[in-house]
Amino acid sequence: MTGTLGRHVRPIDWQQRTSGAARYTADLFIAESLTVRVVRSPHAYAAVRSIDTAKAATMPGVHAIITIADFPPGARYIHEGARDRPPLAEGMVRYVGQEIAAVAAETAEQAAAAADAVVVSYDRKRGPLTIAAAQGAWSAALHKRTNGKNISKSLHRSWGEPLQGSSDGVSVDGRFVFSRQTHASMEPNSIIAQWDAEQGCLHLWVSTQAPIFVRDEVAQILGLAKEQVVCHEVFVGGGFGSKSRISEHEVIAAALALKVKRPVRLVLDRNEEFETTKSRHAFHMELALHADASGHMRAITGRFQVDNGAYDHSGMSVTSAGMKGLGLIYRPRSIRLDAQLIDTATLPGGQFRGYGTTQVTFALESLMDELAGRLERDPIDLRLQNANRDGEETLIGARPRTVRLADCLIAARDAIGWDKLRNTRPAGHGVGIASGVHLSGSYAERDDANRSDAAIDMLTNGKVRLRFGGADTGTGQRTMLAQIVAGELGLALDDVDVMTMDTALTPFDLGAWSSRGTHYSGHAARLVAKTATKKLESLAQGRVLPIGDLVALSNEAVDGMLTVEASFVETAVQRPDPKTGLGNVSASYNFAAHAAHVKVDTRTGKVELIDYVAVHDVGTPLNPAAVHGQIVGGAAMGIGAALGEDLVFEQGKLVTTGYTYYALPRAADIPSIRSFIVNCADPLGPYGAKGVGELGINPPPPAIANAVADAIGVRIRELPITPDKIVTALARKEGRNRHFNIWRRPDRWWIAFVRWAYPLGLFRLLHAWRTHQPSRSVPPEIEELAAPASLDEALSSLDRGAVPMGGGTDLLLRRSQMLSTATRLVSLAGIADLSQIAIAEDGAVTIGSAVSLSRLCAPSATHPAVAAAAQSIASHQIRNMATIAGNLLQANRCWFYRNGFECYQRVGAKAPCYAILGDHRFYHAAIDGHRCQAVTPSDMATALTALDATIHIRGRHGTRTLPIRALYTGPGQTVLQDGEVIAAITLPAAARTRVGAFRKLNLWHGDFAIGSVAITCRIDEAGCWHDPRIVCGALAPVPWRAVETEKALAGRKVTAALLRAALDEELNAKAHPLARNAWKLDALAGLCEQAVEEINEKVGR
Amino acid sequence: MSASAVTSMVHVVFWLVPGLERRHQMVSVKRQMVVNDTAFDVDVGLDDTLLRVIREKIGLTGTKEACGRGECGACTVLVDGVARLSCMTLCALVTGKVTTIEGVARERPDICAAFADHGGFQCGFCTSGQIVSVAALLQESLPGDPAAAEHVVRDRLSGNICRCTGYGGIVASVLALAGGDR
Ligand code: FES
Ligand code: FES
Repeated sequence: MTGTLGRHVRPIDWQQRTSGAARYTADLFIAESLTVRVVRSPHAYAAVRSIDTAKAATMPGVHAIITIADFPPGARYIHEGARDRPPLAEGMVRYVGQEIAAVAAETAEQAAAAADAVVVSYDRKRGPLTIAAAQGAWSAALHKRTNGKNISKSLHRSWGEPLQGSSDGVSVDGRFVFSRQTHASMEPNSIIAQWDAEQGCLHLWVSTQAPIFVRDEVAQILGLAKEQVVCHEVFVGGGFGSKSRISEHEVIAAALALKVKRPVRLVLDRNEEFETTKSRHAFHMELALHADASGHMRAITGRFQVDNGAYDHSGMSVTSAGMKGLGLIYRPRSIRLDAQLIDTATLPGGQFRGYGTTQVTFALESLMDELAGRLERDPIDLRLQNANRDGEETLIGARPRTVRLADCLIAARDAIGWDKLRNTRPAGHGVGIASGVHLSGSYAERDDANRSDAAIDMLTNGKVRLRFGGADTGTGQRTMLAQIVAGELGLALDDVDVMTMDTALTPFDLGAWSSRGTHYSGHAARLVAKTATKKLESLAQGRVLPIGDLVALSNEAVDGMLTVEASFVETAVQRPDPKTGLGNVSASYNFAAHAAHVKVDTRTGKVELIDYVAVHDVGTPLNPAAVHGQIVGGAAMGIGAALGEDLVFEQGKLVTTGYTYYALPRAADIPSIRSFIVNCADPLGPYGAKGVGELGINPPPPAIANAVADAIGVRIRELPITPDKIVTALARKEGRNRHFNIWRRPDRWWIAFVRWAYPLGLFRLLHAWRTHQPSRSVPPEIEELAAPASLDEALSSLDRGAVPMGGGTDLLLRRSQMLSTATRLVSLAGIADLSQIAIAEDGAVTIGSAVSLSRLCAPSATHPAVAAAAQSIASHQIRNMATIAGNLLQANRCWFYRNGFECYQRVGAKAPCYAILGDHRFYHAAIDGHRCQAVTPSDMATALTALDATIHIRGRHGTRTLPIRALYTGPGQTVLQDGEVIAAITLPAAARTRVGAFRKLNLWHGDFAIGSVAITCRIDEAGCWHDPRIVCGALAPVPWRAVETEKALAGRKVTAALLRAALDEELNAKAHPLARNAWKLDALAGLCEQAVEEINEKVGR
Repeated sequence: MSASAVTSMVHVVFWLVPGLERRHQMVSVKRQMVVNDTAFDVDVGLDDTLLRVIREKIGLTGTKEACGRGECGACTVLVDGVARLSCMTLCALVTGKVTTIEGVARERPDICAAFADHGGFQCGFCTSGQIVSVAALLQESLPGDPAAAEHVVRDRLSGNICRCTGYGGIVASVLALAGGDR
């Protein structure tokens, strides 16, 4: 290889991307721009009776409002030819968040206000919200389909020999669920559209992976010629598949730009991102593997149900790609698969890194371990025996030239220390392996999908520029292209510039998807660079001259620029046969093996990754650092899918609409993933390279599931593997059961009755007839903001509805969630008197209410248990901003309440509690739940309750002091009256003599507690506990003290087992869990055991 | 700008005449903001977040908005050297000196270079926030033991989500930078 190829170089755009100079779409502020806000459906399934824009149209700043009436009749996206999706709702809405209308106004606030004022009248219907519901006899049909009700498509694949009866072999099967994962790209979808009437040209700056698809669909829907639509180059902040086709905002912005004749700007907010980015399709898979007694795989059979969502987006090709993935890793003799794409009235599924192969790999690789277990074989040996090899045509017609899967497996085995871990792993530890495969660009969708063009401009100053039509969303593709050109032309990397994306200035390329970047753009760049070299050689005629001089010699140069173009067409690929799916769709295939070492906390269900190894066969890496980056980034996303990421819906509405509610890995959630490259040049790849962008995401879910099964002896078949699933599975395995004897507890009868009545119609009644909040997407403006210097000043301004504010991290959030309409805010954060920590002579510690959580993180600042609690909260930045009082007084964090559900807590008695039937596994009460199932979320409250803290409250009419247990009246609700503030919190002198521990279980580092525990006590010389406090947070509406257990332990030498016995008894007597959160009792009891152990360790017992 | 000028701004108080009719006109105050050691006179609406003012009124677009509500860290800036989320900070309440990515990149080009050398970024959208957080982190000393240091780094950077890199490159960048002073 030439030049820097094969070596690590800094990305060519590193200075821009690391200094803030890189301009992403939303960073372009074009003069005279209007801002767009989209009106979206609040209903999962409804007929749209009318859309009244009259009032909104007259509102200040509003320039235009569009509805479907503004489009040509029958306008539909093409996509895979499904043509079932209009650019704005036409007659029906089929998922929550579907676009109905859009407003362009002078400012974002005006656009939002006008969008709120658009009156849509609906005829609500009951839509099928799940796969099961869609197939029910009485379910509504979402579309007119020819395959059967709510079946968008059916697909049958049968490859290889006919299935034979296998009397001497073994079979394993299972039902696996891969739930919905969302891309959560950090850059929100954004577009700026500007119509140039003079030139008849629509200019788009849009965050996309595939400009050409955006151009074609926009032109098609708006009735423009393709040349009239031009995408320009911008920096793109991640895509992961979500931006590889058009979404909806592009056409909406384009249509508005045409209408208002001014530039318009549409940047989705994070809610919209979560609610409308087409997620990974959920796969429900029944899969079976059949092998002979020696372990040779005979057959794979299976049946998939794929949640298509409300519209066809790419479900068919995702499903078909997944099926093919099953024919690439191993060498079965026969494959029989059936799949159905089921219409549901939910967010449509879409393209996501891995594209169907991710889902099926989870099932296949989980079953491989089960097969190994049945055959009493080592899981890696069994995989090696069956691994695909090069030079053979596979069942699905693929002809990979290089297959280094076996090498990957062996390298992964060695790197993780497989043999040693398998033989000597400590309790709770486990190790797992999984293989994976992906393509290097699928020859799919269109006849020209095997082609990529590139051009080079050479300048008299010796610099060259590559022009390429794809988009670098962060993969480092531009750098790789520059390396190729620089290498071929013998230039320094600095002398090569790369232009991408511009559909007017760059030649044909389909964009960054299907891991095609390396293969197609690599070849195109290589080809055009070779063409340039030839041209230069012919100019040089044997002389050695710099490029600039040669350009000057050329009579083909225009304005000092000599241009060459080249078109690469891959002839080794075939379009798959539409009937059989057979065909060699990719020039090369990349393989991988990942190994995971986990530690499962069997008490709390938390899975910790101890070590993670990813070995990839990527051909020859052209830029090893970038390749490792793709592997590690992909693996981290796969780990997210394995352990936490899940889109949760209720009544068709997304519950998890934000990073807070979406457990994607944070830095502290994963170890340094160790990636290795098995180097082997592929004869068809550019310089031997293969694709790498997607595969990293495939092996982690099964590798981790296999490691978890190895650790605890139970297999989790439904992703993500969250603590509830582990704790529940272990309880079942060990035959543990809790009985709550509600029939003996009259105080719970009424609640038990209501919970019983909910599924029988009460919920539906309340849901249908609930009070509605006025629709509003921006909070009322702040009218007054005071930053007083003293508490007295602050108190005097806390009148007429003014509210106190600490760090603002909850109040401002609640304003944006329409949970606070306060317009007069009084900031307490700057009051010096409230920012002190004072230690009295007797040792009592008084913490000012405005002391930041950061300051409490030091164990010496107050008490180690307080420090541990502070340290567990949110993030460093939030801890710098948030105050202790703000933490204590934050409103509850129930994900229904916070995320726009019109629930009891939000709108009042005539509304249901969505947690009763909805997903309440993590953040809801298992003790004492009443009308609302939420909990007090403050971890500080847990710790301070265990230290007998007192709260000093100041109001205009005096002061009062309360023990902290008297502060709370309900979930996040307190006795504080209007005009009162917390001035300080005191830890009594006795707290100093208390040994304590704080423990917390959550889904991601910094998340709110699923449960938190603080235990403190005094321990005498003999090691006996006195006056213990056992406090559980996030278990009941208010911090919950295990008073009976405290009594039982007082005066005794406490061990984890002793505590557990007493606590279990108390929990069984007092808990009243919801249907799916009884596991929290086990987990909290486990946390308590750990706290006891920590305390005993601290005092050396 | 001198330190005394900054402290005198601390007491700019926003007592506003109550009850004013302000339906379609945002209440705003004139402020002098010191951003990256340069003073800017800006009209700040009471609703304006620091993020909005930095990006839209001062025109420094390096600071990014990825969530707008304190979940992701993309908008991290330093106020008097302390890392804060500019999307959850009302600009009218800010009295300290603000440093954004543009300022950090100028003062600490070594952090940017380390990110480039160790795969600390891919798409770059989280990178401004990451680098600002790293600048704050590097004001403190890390444990000498590499595993302990990694632990601290991962904890401290957990408020900065990155969807591209899997964090390995970011952590490696910081450890390499910290290793230099050890
Ligand atoms: S944009 Fe401020 S935290 Fe996400
Ligand atoms: S580099 Fe893309 S989100 Fe971090």
